[in-house]
Amino acid sequence: MSQTLFEKIWESHVVVEKENGPSLLYIDRHLIHEVTSPQAFDGLRMKKRKVRRPDLTIATMDHNVPTSKRTLQIIDQTSAIQIQTLEKNCKEFCIKLFDMNSPYQGIVHVIGPQLGITLPGTTIVCGDSHTSTQGAFGAFAFGIGTSDIEHVLVSQTLWLETLKPFEIQIEGKIRNPFAITAKDIILSIIKNIGTDGGIGTVIEYRGQGITELSMEQRMTICNMSVEAGARAGLIAPDQKTFDYLRGRKYTPKNYEDLVELWKDDLKSDPNAKFEKSFRLNVDDIAPQVSWGTNPAMTSDVTETVPSPEEFAKGDEIQQKNVEKALQYMDLKPGTDITDINIDRVFIGSCTNARLEDLIEASKVVKGKKVSKKVRAMVVPGSQMVKKEAEKMGLDKIFKEANFDWRESGCSMCLGMNPDILKPGERCASTSNRNFEGRQGAGGRTHLVSPVMAAAAAIVGHFVDVREMEIN
Amino acid sequence: MVIKYERDNIDTDVILPGTYLKIHDYDELATHAMEGIDPEFHSKVKEGDFIVAGKNFGCGSSREHAPIALSHSGVKAVLALSFARIFYRNSVDGAFLLPIEIDEDTYKNIENGDELEIIIEKNEITNLTKNQTYRIKPFSEIISKIILAGGLFKFKP
Repeated sequence: MSQTLFEKIWESHVVVEKENGPSLLYIDRHLIHEVTSPQAFDGLRMKKRKVRRPDLTIATMDHNVPTSKRTLQIIDQTSAIQIQTLEKNCKEFCIKLFDMNSPYQGIVHVIGPQLGITLPGTTIVCGDSHTSTQGAFGAFAFGIGTSDIEHVLVSQTLWLETLKPFEIQIEGKIRNPFAITAKDIILSIIKNIGTDGGIGTVIEYRGQGITELSMEQRMTICNMSVEAGARAGLIAPDQKTFDYLRGRKYTPKNYEDLVELWKDDLKSDPNAKFEKSFRLNVDDIAPQVSWGTNPAMTSDVTETVPSPEEFAKGDEIQQKNVEKALQYMDLKPGTDITDINIDRVFIGSCTNARLEDLIEASKVVKGKKVSKKVRAMVVPGSQMVKKEAEKMGLDKIFKEANFDWRESGCSMCLGMNPDILKPGERCASTSNRNFEGRQGAGGRTHLVSPVMAAAAAIVGHFVDVREMEIN
Repeated sequence: MVIKYERDNIDTDVILPGTYLKIHDYDELATHAMEGIDPEFHSKVKEGDFIVAGKNFGCGSSREHAPIALSHSGVKAVLALSFARIFYRNSVDGAFLLPIEIDEDTYKNIENGDELEIIIEKNEITNLTKNQTYRIKPFSEIISKIILAGGLFKFKP
């Protein structure tokens, strides 16, 4: 019978299957960070249990690490304790940890692929919803909560109810691949299918619009699948995937043999049945800017902030959602998106802090200065990204333009480390969530691509990056 | 008693803002529940209360701290038009609270301050204030079993 890629991965990982019930799935890789794991380790200790496969469990610290110089002490005591707790837990349970001083430290979803831990056809979990990022390599990768982390630690398995395969076909060819990025594609998708469009599904992104993208761009797309409500997003591996993972620190020794297997196996069969389907043509899409408090509240940069009535199209609750969003964002309907002035710029996060993101943003910044009204920062996704960027001189370009060049971490994506917005501050951010207070209580977030964020830093407001002169 | 939020997409960042994810003590977490959209929540919520909300409740981060904070505030169930799946699963895994799916009519009929009685075995909600009865979407077999067992680690498959 024809199967989708997701169904193939699922089937090859079933340990126990129950009729009309959930399946017990084997988990190939378990990534851990400091925030969602402490209670899971406490659970193990209380029940006197061990980690079943410490060799398949990898930890790093990213969420609350400060992005200031690593030699400085962590001032926030609760953060320091959480970080020390992870160190202690990894030591006690023999888990490999990339700590704050490791050259491999970084945002967990950024280092997974960079280290060759993420592999096609595998199941990957982490106590973080953006684990979906790693689906770009044809893995079934998804976020779990702390109880499930404990379950995976003790058993290397997880009970899971079946998810529906959802096909998103990306057609066409982007005319201006510098100005229109993977971020604009995924924001366009979420704008169309809604924040709950993918509930109960695993999205497979397919089509020319996807195969044309680099691996790092594909990660941006899969990363935000969870923002459309999907449990995971994935893309069938191809030559770009195999080339990306070759020769990395943890790439398996029999890699070329595996590639031969993956080439034939890891794709949806021609007649595979998807339970849901959506098509997006990228020929004419514009740069995207979010104006509300969820990622579906997004417009083309050439548009205006919509009115609640216009956006809700008769849906009463939605109208109230938009009213509240505009009030929080302090925006009036009819305002040109390009007239929105910003105070801060954040280029970073698991969505957009990989090398290509920084290269593209630097092209906008080169030879220019950040607007006097704006404070801007670049936070590389990992120490490896930072080092490569510095080798290329990107740090100098950003610093000369008055950007702050930071150490790696989740930083201003989620307001739980020193990088936060002040109440009322408005930020052009390359992160994934514009929820109320996400970047700090009272902070206002506009989700954009790295190129748009860089441009906004220079001119102080959003601009149609298609019309910018690039050095 | 019902605390109703007439909005969709109540995300885990407003249920429990990120800055509090460093807190280990569940009762202390509870003092910050819903702080992102309702700073008064902690002072008004009582043991046995229910939250009623729109679509996609609990979207966003996988933090189990979100259902924990609600549960330790006294919230026994969240009644919503739909749930984000990680929140749903986390709520059930730790038997923190019941994520109950309701239809639009039920959502419109239930108002802030209403007293409800929920009988899971009958998939029924009685609105004691308005003397109305509503149906709820039944839990799947496995979810019912985990709930009845008192969470994932007490459940014997």
